[in-house]
Amino acid sequence: MSRGRAMAALPPPRSTWDAINPLRLLGELSETRYWMYLLLLPSALLITAIVLFPTVYGFQLSFTEMRLNRPAGNGAFVGLKHYQRMLADPIFWLSLRNTAVWVTFSIVIEFVVGLVAALALNRNLPGGKILAVLILVPYFLPNVVAGNMWALMLDSRVGVINDILVRIGLLHEYKAWFADPNTAMATAIFVEAWHSFPFFTLLIMAGLKGIPADLYKAADIDGAGAFAQLRLITLPMLRTIIAAAVILRVIGLVNSPDLLLILTQGGPGRSTQVLSLYAFQNAYSDFNFGYAGALSVVMFVLLMLFAWAYIRLSKVNQD
Amino acid sequence: MATLSIKGVRKSFGAVEVLKTIDIELEDGGFLVLLGPSGCGKSTLLSIIAGLEPSSGGDVIIGERNVNDVHPKDRNIAMVFQSYALYPTMPVRRNIGFGLEMRKVPAAERDAAVQRAAELLQIEHLLDRKPGQLSGGQRQRVAMGRAIVRDPDLFLFDEPLSNLDAKLRVEMRTEIKRLHDRLGTSIVYVTHDQIEAMTLGTKVAVMKGGVIQQIADPQTIYEKPANMFVAGFIGSPTMNFLSGTLERSGGTIVLRHGEALLALPGLEQDVGAHIGKSVVAGIRPETFHPGEGQGTLTGTVDVVEPTGPDTMVILSIGGQLLTARLGSRDRPKLGDTMTLAVDTAAINLFDPDTGDRI
Amino acid sequence: MTAKFDRRSVLKLGGGMLAASALLPHQAFAQQTAINYWHTFTSQSEAAGLQAVLDLFKAAHPDVAVTPENIPNPEFMAKITAAVVGGSRPNVTMVSSERFEDLLAMGALSDMTDRIAGWERRGDFDDKRFASITKDGKSYGVPGFTFVDWGYYRKDWFDEAGLAAPTTYDEFRDAAIKLTDASKGRFGFGLRGGPGGQNFVVNVIEAFGSPVKKEDGTIGLDRDIVVKALDWYAGLLVKDKAVPPSAANDGFQQVISGFQTGQTAMIWHHTGSYQDIASKLKPGVEFGTFAMPAGPATRVARLAYAYNCITNDENADAAWEWIKFWGEPDAAVAFLEKTGYMPASTVAAQDQRIVGNPMYKAAADTLGFGIPQPSFPGAAGWAQNTVLPALQQILIGQATPDQAADQIIEGLAAAIA
Repeated sequence: MSRGRAMAALPPPRSTWDAINPLRLLGELSETRYWMYLLLLPSALLITAIVLFPTVYGFQLSFTEMRLNRPAGNGAFVGLKHYQRMLADPIFWLSLRNTAVWVTFSIVIEFVVGLVAALALNRNLPGGKILAVLILVPYFLPNVVAGNMWALMLDSRVGVINDILVRIGLLHEYKAWFADPNTAMATAIFVEAWHSFPFFTLLIMAGLKGIPADLYKAADIDGAGAFAQLRLITLPMLRTIIAAAVILRVIGLVNSPDLLLILTQGGPGRSTQVLSLYAFQNAYSDFNFGYAGALSVVMFVLLMLFAWAYIRLSKVNQD
Repeated sequence: MATLSIKGVRKSFGAVEVLKTIDIELEDGGFLVLLGPSGCGKSTLLSIIAGLEPSSGGDVIIGERNVNDVHPKDRNIAMVFQSYALYPTMPVRRNIGFGLEMRKVPAAERDAAVQRAAELLQIEHLLDRKPGQLSGGQRQRVAMGRAIVRDPDLFLFDEPLSNLDAKLRVEMRTEIKRLHDRLGTSIVYVTHDQIEAMTLGTKVAVMKGGVIQQIADPQTIYEKPANMFVAGFIGSPTMNFLSGTLERSGGTIVLRHGEALLALPGLEQDVGAHIGKSVVAGIRPETFHPGEGQGTLTGTVDVVEPTGPDTMVILSIGGQLLTARLGSRDRPKLGDTMTLAVDTAAINLFDPDTGDRI
Repeated sequence: MTAKFDRRSVLKLGGGMLAASALLPHQAFAQQTAINYWHTFTSQSEAAGLQAVLDLFKAAHPDVAVTPENIPNPEFMAKITAAVVGGSRPNVTMVSSERFEDLLAMGALSDMTDRIAGWERRGDFDDKRFASITKDGKSYGVPGFTFVDWGYYRKDWFDEAGLAAPTTYDEFRDAAIKLTDASKGRFGFGLRGGPGGQNFVVNVIEAFGSPVKKEDGTIGLDRDIVVKALDWYAGLLVKDKAVPPSAANDGFQQVISGFQTGQTAMIWHHTGSYQDIASKLKPGVEFGTFAMPAGPATRVARLAYAYNCITNDENADAAWEWIKFWGEPDAAVAFLEKTGYMPASTVAAQDQRIVGNPMYKAAADTLGFGIPQPSFPGAAGWAQNTVLPALQQILIGQATPDQAADQIIEGLAAAIA
């Protein structure tokens, strides 16, 4: 902003207009150190509006009585009431345990399958491009569509999966996968993994493109086999991308109840009840937004702890 | 240590032929440089020698062994890459010893070999660092350490100096030459840099479009380029090409370029068949001298570029620009008319239609 | 282009265009008011029924354009809550009886008492039809159609076994056990233990003698009766094995397809699935309909209504036209013929097309003795989030009826606290 400097260099006598000329004032401001804060202001406001405010509101909600179908006592500060109730709430603890199972197994399966698919697609085999598009299809299906599709395919009466399993002799009668507490969670995890493994495939494929081919050539000449190359080159080089993908997926898995809402609604008998679903039910069928808010805060804190621990353990932010 | 024979090696990617029947023989302990512009197929040829890329035909023979169907790790070769290709998670020590580790060489033996290589390359103090903590030159040394620790039959270098800055490049070039002299192992070295080719190679193969244009010792390549491509590719500033017609004037052969006449006494080439025809004379800038001689050219000074040790003078002769490398004290004025003597024995004549040396 | 735009001329131009655009649509569409209609219809027959009503309405009211928006039933409360809180309310919303109290409490509904009082077809409706949408003397909606609980049974199998349609719980259980033949993959009763099955549990509890909401308005349950009721109902699976093992996850689709495909001999639902069943099985030959059987203490068959409510003060007059239209006999019968849902209007219910059809007799009977669902704020959430999981836990062997009863009673206390 040379304008401000030029103006400042002028001799003192100024007209009244000069004293209030907004362009001149702006010009002078642009020469001060406050200018950078001024430039940051719009984004700061935006972040406050779309990130900070809702988060703070969620925290505030968790200390408030807010039951939409009991307007009378709403808005009152209730301190740690919701958190105290949570400690004594067996459904909360069950949901927490189920969430851990749901997230851990989903992530591991999605990562392994996603990695294998990405490695296969990265070999530039004939037809690979079409296959790459096809393999991404599940991820582009909305949860609702994927969920209903699998619910139908796994149906205990008309489901094609049961039909196939009986025909090839793995089952001797049709199984109601979501009606048996021993299989409901596993089956839901299977559907979830099917739906989301392409997310890993997509990111890992992008990451693989960034690994210099020379490294593999050097390893070939050094005599490192495929597994050693995976362990010593591919995985270390993908560390950052894998960390980002895992954290994003874990957040998605912890926060999004959609798929379970369609497949099991937490059943049978709460065997697939997870925290997000529990918060959803508290908010939208019990209308207890205060307690739902407290559950969300717990999920938020757990996710932050996870992300922090994971980044530390995976040493992503080093070298 | 071993010889290398490449016999009729071809390579196509689909319909695109990137290598067309390559034949090369490299003597034991030789230093072969594959030189050419990017896309000439030199790196592909190196990959085929390494076994990283299958050829579409022909044979690669290392020592007495045809290695067409031998896995890279079993060819007893070592390779140094342009990007160094160091394993990012391993410390330098393990990087260097990795090939031995994969070959199940006992740890003690391995450590000793690594230590020897490190001493040779003066990188002992770096052994416990990760590649990310090294400078470009240090990485290059580690990459070379990884190659020599294996004591292979053949070293393959793929543009190893391209990622270094100019000063380091010269240092490392000397280093490689010294290593070759000490180890005596055969080397195939890919580069697009003619200085590297000239300084390092015992044999230089100039490639273009998947074809070897000329394969010879550096001196021959420089003095008797097989065609105008090789002539123009080697040497800096590049060779001047003066087109004209050959005439016989008395006992001497003369090149006529418009008004200008250049007598060509002492020409090595047999040009009898080309009298009266168009030819291109390849004149290296350093063959010009101020003053009179048997063959002279006179022109107008167009540009003067002092470089320190030399002065580049660009003369306009009958509308064609020629560069002359003169002494640092020769500083003609722009627009002057200048007559220069030419060492006509160093002139190469080319057929303008084929580009080949006559 | 050499035209020079300074700021003033750009502003003028823009202002002019803005003014023009503000005027144009009003002139062009001055005669038509657009409203949107949120509904939870899911099946093909329901969609066809809605389309039939929309077509009739369009012919009768070309001045009102109705845009139907399908909100899947499980998401309905979340969507409407968000719309109310976020200020993007639809003009008209379908509200089922059990959701009335919650929606009213959150301020989603507009008072329609005066409009209803002045409606020329008000006399066609029994006062009871408005009971589940009225509070403190104010009415908030008009019944569009009726959910009449009833059952479907495989008439061919019953005839073969020499059985008649059940009228009591005992007869019902006997028939369910007799018609179960595991070797044929055939079960007596398609129990809905998945989503939506909660209401039948409440029905059974009440039929055994413990109403959720007493006549004096107090809310509570008799534990012994709840245990007995759960033992009987879940026992159909865990003891009698007369229910498909998939019951704990069987929702609407599964229960209907189980009956359609010949897996089950009886199911409970309401008349709205009649056309779906009739599209696969022959009415009167392969299947028949029966009124909900009587329990040990009382007979519980629900009459619930899908009310149409004004949820937005904007275009309320147009919304009212659309809501009233569901009371027209032609519209109600057209809807019935596509779906099976009974009209809410007494006049429409006496249409020859209904009373002349013997398959509707069970529904017509139920209109006489049917009762509304217990209604209080929190009722729907309690049924869905406490009663249903408790039932499922018995079905999958994770809880005894006693333990489940405790959950249900404690959950009820928490819901009304």
